[in-house]
Amino acid sequence: MTNFLQLLVSGVAMGAIYTLTAKGLFIAHLATHRLNFGQGDFMMVAAFLVMALLIAGVHALLAVILVVLALCVMGYLLERIAIRPLDALAERSTPYAWVLTTAGIALILQNLVELVWGGSAQYAPPLFSQSRDSVVIVMGVGIFVEEIAIIVVAFLVVGALYWFLFASRWGKAVYAVAFNPEAANLLGVDVRGVIVLVFVIASVLAGVAGVLIGPLVSLHPHIGLVFTIKALAVASLGGFSNPVGILIGGLLFGVAEAFSNYWDSAFGDLYPLLFVLASLAIKPSGLFGERHADVR
Amino acid sequence: MSRISKTAAAVGLSALFAGGALAQETVKVGVVQGLSGPPAIVDFGESYLQGLRLAHKDYEASDAKTKIELIVYDDEANPQRAVSVVQRLIQNDEVAAVIGTVSSGNVLAFAPILQRAEIPLIAGPSIATNITAQFIDEDPSYIFRCSMVEKFQIDAMLDWAAETFDKVGLVHSTTGYGNVAAEEIQKGMAARDKELVAVEAAAPGVNDLTPQMIRMRDAGAELVLNFHESFELIYRPMARLDYRPTIAGNWGLSSMKVQEIVGADAIEGTVMGQALDLGEEKAQEFDARMREEYGSAYRWPVLAALGYDAGQIMFKAVNEVGTADPKAIRDALENIDGIDAVSATPAQPFSETDHECLNPEHVFLGVWKDGAVVRLQ
Repeated sequence: MTNFLQLLVSGVAMGAIYTLTAKGLFIAHLATHRLNFGQGDFMMVAAFLVMALLIAGVHALLAVILVVLALCVMGYLLERIAIRPLDALAERSTPYAWVLTTAGIALILQNLVELVWGGSAQYAPPLFSQSRDSVVIVMGVGIFVEEIAIIVVAFLVVGALYWFLFASRWGKAVYAVAFNPEAANLLGVDVRGVIVLVFVIASVLAGVAGVLIGPLVSLHPHIGLVFTIKALAVASLGGFSNPVGILIGGLLFGVAEAFSNYWDSAFGDLYPLLFVLASLAIKPSGLFGERHADVR
Repeated sequence: MSRISKTAAAVGLSALFAGGALAQETVKVGVVQGLSGPPAIVDFGESYLQGLRLAHKDYEASDAKTKIELIVYDDEANPQRAVSVVQRLIQNDEVAAVIGTVSSGNVLAFAPILQRAEIPLIAGPSIATNITAQFIDEDPSYIFRCSMVEKFQIDAMLDWAAETFDKVGLVHSTTGYGNVAAEEIQKGMAARDKELVAVEAAAPGVNDLTPQMIRMRDAGAELVLNFHESFELIYRPMARLDYRPTIAGNWGLSSMKVQEIVGADAIEGTVMGQALDLGEEKAQEFDARMREEYGSAYRWPVLAALGYDAGQIMFKAVNEVGTADPKAIRDALENIDGIDAVSATPAQPFSETDHECLNPEHVFLGVWKDGAVVRLQ
């Protein structure tokens, strides 16, 4: 039983990170039918930035605020550099040119980080505890303080995003743009502003994931790709149009990963992806894709 | 002597001296290293290259008669690129010899090309057991190596493990390297009438080894052999599982980067294959020089030491030959003697039947003790 709970906790913590990363994909895709193929790399940059600030002696709270602000700027720049020019090109660009432009930005980020911090793995100091091995024991299960923070923050962020999308004016604007950008424009919605906003939010979500995950993994410049792939799997599993579905999908994926590594470690990473493939074959819209109708 | 005759004589002498200077050939030595890609590859490649560059600096500062130019390429841990840069070194740069690289698969991909081109190679820091053995029966073999040899470090470790521990477990990666190491370890344990109590694998990009370490704990493993390229991962779950077995494994565990990530307390007592004893004065002097030369970029003493020794050996051979003659350099390498190595490499490392810098008797077990890797007593 203790092993079961231990695996459950470590799976939920990793699943929470996948959820945050996938949420960024979800919100950008919702409003623009596009997403950032460098979402994991934005997360990696945030992790490196917070690591550098903490090592430089900056207070943890200030470091987090600075990194979130930096990610806001990165999200804005992503939209200006990799997304908006494609709209200006209109018919001259292919419908999926954004895959190349966002992946290109991701490669640039990887190389920039490698130039600054080198290609080695790095240690990121913890944010919420004094040492890297701060563990809380609950019913015989060891939980890192950083994992508790990840789980709590992930749920809070999902709640905030839910409120933003379904209870705020800007959230309604996002759905209006998602439904029909031209009609939204006629109704006075700042369509371009909404598009910028969703990429900024997506970037901030990657930033929050990066800030949280740094102390739990070995950081290196190429860590982002795996998280992008897993976030895509999670978004597909939960349903690209359902924010709660993505939360459940993320947690399911993380837990499946932990248990499959326990059951058969040689192919531990394979089974969750096979599970996603099988579920998509049965329900292409994702496990929770139809509970909340896709407004598009 | 008329004025014209004096001028003519002066011009003649100048031409003679100029001709002498032109005759002093610069010999090009190609270096292929993994300088980008997975973090472990970068650490291996950069550390070996740091030692090699220091050896080159020392060579240039000496009164050596032959000028040597290093031409360095990054193989990005990619076999296709490794083959491509080696072909470029042969055809465009016209190098007389080559040193490199980290990935054994890359070395095994380009070594036959160098053997056919009759250009000597000092492989390193690749570790696969069969690299020089594959070519030693060639007449002659152009393939040498200055690096750890997987079988030697595994044998040393299993001798110690079988004698010291009742229950031994293994965590390895699912890469070619990890699978081959696991096979060698299982065969080695069987040869010692022992069996591993648990064998667990992990993908190269995995971030958490909690499931694998639960298996180790439940099997009662007192010693866990770590042959996963992300050397630091295995330490992370130990605090949460309140399970602290002895860790032993690949020489990668001696990297100061691993110590930095997992912490000095966690790594204390970790055992690994080794060829440099920082308890010795010569090794300490070298370590101090490397720290002075590279500062915080220096992170792996044994790798730098083997890179330094590979450079010493190659540059001495080239200097003895004095020209860019690959066959003569190969012969000089095979017969080289009087090397004052920093690592455990002997003064006369090679012979006609042995192209390895390190033999089983030179490989020992190192242990993290008070922030440095010293010989395990």
